[in-house]
Amino acid sequence: MFYQYSEDQNAFRDSLRRFVQDHYDYETRRQRLEKSEVFNADYWRQLAELGVLGLPFSETDGGLDLDFPYLMAVAEEIGRGLVLEPVLPVTVAGRLLAASNSSDAKSHLAALISGECLVSLAWEESSSRGNPLLTQCTLVTRGDGYVLNGKKQAALAAAESQFYIVSARDSGGDLQLLLLNAKHSGITQRCYLLADGNSAADLEFNNVELPASAIIASASQAEALLQTAISESIVVMAAEAIGAIDQLLVITQEYLLTRKQFGMPLAMFQSLQHRFADMVIAAEKLRSLLWAACQQLGSDNQEKAAAQLKVQLGESARYVGQQAVQLHGGIGMTDELNVGAYFKRLTVMELLCGQQDYHLGKLAELALVS
Amino acid sequence: MMSNQLSELDTFRREVRDFLESAATDEIREAGRKTTSVFAPFKQAMAWQKILYNKGWVAPAWPVEYGGTGWTIHQRYIFVEECNRLELPPVLPQNIQMVGPAVIGFGSEEQKAKYLPGMLSGDDFWCQGYSEPGAGSDLASLKCRADSDGDDYILNGSKTWTTYGHHANKMFALVRTSSEGKPQQGISFLLLDMNTPGIEVRPIIGLDGEPEQCEVFFTDARVPKANRIGEENKGWSVAKYVLEFERGGSTFGAWLTPAFERLRARCQQSNESGVRLIDDVSVARKLAKLEVDISAVEHTEKRVNANLKHGENPGPMASLLKILGSEVMQQYSELQLEISGVDALAQQHSALHVESGIAAIGSEADMLAMPYYLNTRAASIYAGSNEVQRSLLAKAVMGA
Repeated sequence: MFYQYSEDQNAFRDSLRRFVQDHYDYETRRQRLEKSEVFNADYWRQLAELGVLGLPFSETDGGLDLDFPYLMAVAEEIGRGLVLEPVLPVTVAGRLLAASNSSDAKSHLAALISGECLVSLAWEESSSRGNPLLTQCTLVTRGDGYVLNGKKQAALAAAESQFYIVSARDSGGDLQLLLLNAKHSGITQRCYLLADGNSAADLEFNNVELPASAIIASASQAEALLQTAISESIVVMAAEAIGAIDQLLVITQEYLLTRKQFGMPLAMFQSLQHRFADMVIAAEKLRSLLWAACQQLGSDNQEKAAAQLKVQLGESARYVGQQAVQLHGGIGMTDELNVGAYFKRLTVMELLCGQQDYHLGKLAELALVS
Repeated sequence: MMSNQLSELDTFRREVRDFLESAATDEIREAGRKTTSVFAPFKQAMAWQKILYNKGWVAPAWPVEYGGTGWTIHQRYIFVEECNRLELPPVLPQNIQMVGPAVIGFGSEEQKAKYLPGMLSGDDFWCQGYSEPGAGSDLASLKCRADSDGDDYILNGSKTWTTYGHHANKMFALVRTSSEGKPQQGISFLLLDMNTPGIEVRPIIGLDGEPEQCEVFFTDARVPKANRIGEENKGWSVAKYVLEFERGGSTFGAWLTPAFERLRARCQQSNESGVRLIDDVSVARKLAKLEVDISAVEHTEKRVNANLKHGENPGPMASLLKILGSEVMQQYSELQLEISGVDALAQQHSALHVESGIAAIGSEADMLAMPYYLNTRAASIYAGSNEVQRSLLAKAVMGA
């Protein structure tokens, strides 16, 4: 059982923290967003050089073969610094490629790790409401190949990606995972910024003709790979949330200690002390379930632990985000202070990868069958 | 309520609804739908104010002799309900709910004649200069100085969270005219022109990316003493009176009930895979719970209002209503966001602007859910934070 980073993991984390501090001060981030410059190719290259893009991949795939907590440590620093570059969704998409049996899929890994190629995992749909198995995308046979139709919502990093992994149901009702070139004819991208400034796109597939080799996993294997990718997404997202929450606590603590009203620092008011204590409790609950889920990755309990983690993420992210704004008062409602940016990032995380209610429903179902 | 009273109110409701439906232009309706905070888009809110002014309905709560409608408190509630049922932009509160009552309550006859007509018609737009960088919850600690110089005051200092200060041609402000005694004792209530030399306005960008609040800086800005409302150093009583007046007409429920009905209607529609969200028991139960909370707000407001005589203020119940109303509004904003889910994620600044002609990526309701959620966090901060309100309520009720 491990509940903290090893010495090596901490050292790696510290080096990344310095990189993030140097490149992502809040004012620079604001200016980038004003210009809608969400992806900086130079930063991406530097992240690749730091090894950040290759941590959880085997050496044969060109990676560093490091334990999952290394990626969690990266996620924490990304959360703490509100990094805009899509390190986490691209890495999780890469892990899915690595876990497939498709040599085509694996052939892109080296480029992904070196930063030359980005991949977006597109599974969320408006009507799926967090359930990856509920897809309206269809795949029908035509000649030796297939035809894909349907829509995906909020595909992370899709605007910057050269390839998409897309889930669809075939006519037999089996789930299929497909690897598509982003430039393939019949695909329409609608790119936008999420409420937190990160990049995403809605994708529409209109009679997209694909060869049989586009399928990288089928049926139960496709379901397992997709569920694993989502479990891993939740774990890295929770680590990112912890980074953001820890930083919000630091900022809020400092504000409470220095801001004076009624002749004394806000930190002297008992109601605010208790509020801050509750924020700390929310943070620690999330941190505990993060490590618990990390320990279960790859085990039979992975999905359950990830669902629990996402439920807690929903609760903690909302509480800490809202209360950080509340304790700052009017200044917390502005774009000039970073508190609002953390609050928005945490709110987006609440909504991605299934909301609290979806995961509670899933846990209730798991309890029924066990 | 008696049945004949009910039918009279039904007739009144019909009359209000007929007028609102015929008078609101498409542009005004679009602005109403795209209102994601308590402050509607400026241009259309003022256009709507002008229409209500011409009808004589712009300031229902004002005394009739100054332009009020003479409606009962029930009629006023119905009016707000009907405006919200049609999703019309609320008239901006500064002229009608904030500065108007101060001038009516404390102004001289000359001041009333000079200022009230422009407030009602909307030819003037007044912004509020209360909060300062160092004086938020503790408003009485404000420092913006008004030094006496003959017939004038000379203003130095700054104000903040001045909503729509960049649109305003007038300001009502609390300024420090004395540093003696308790902080509340040296404050005066001043009216001023925003084009006075020495005033600078800087908009502040909010969480939703839009400028709504402003900072206002004063450097040797000269304001005639004749513009003071009430006595020198007695501005605090004027401000308190206005706040209580404002809270006495609490209508959170009249906003929440129709908004809730629209949210439930959305959940009753089938999505593209033929699923209705309301068939999901967790959604249905959350909607049911929210309806209970909204009902509690509505009936608490109506109960408090029913027991008030005209012109009375509700005392500590005002704090209770503010806490209750603002927090249920926040719950509503949360459920609305959850219901939109991933469809609420896209940032759509351009499409949000009235008359942009840009279609929303998904539905308009989904586009509005996130900015509304973010902006509604301010409800527990503005007009006296809910922490301050809870202290006031506890003090009043416990008598400690």
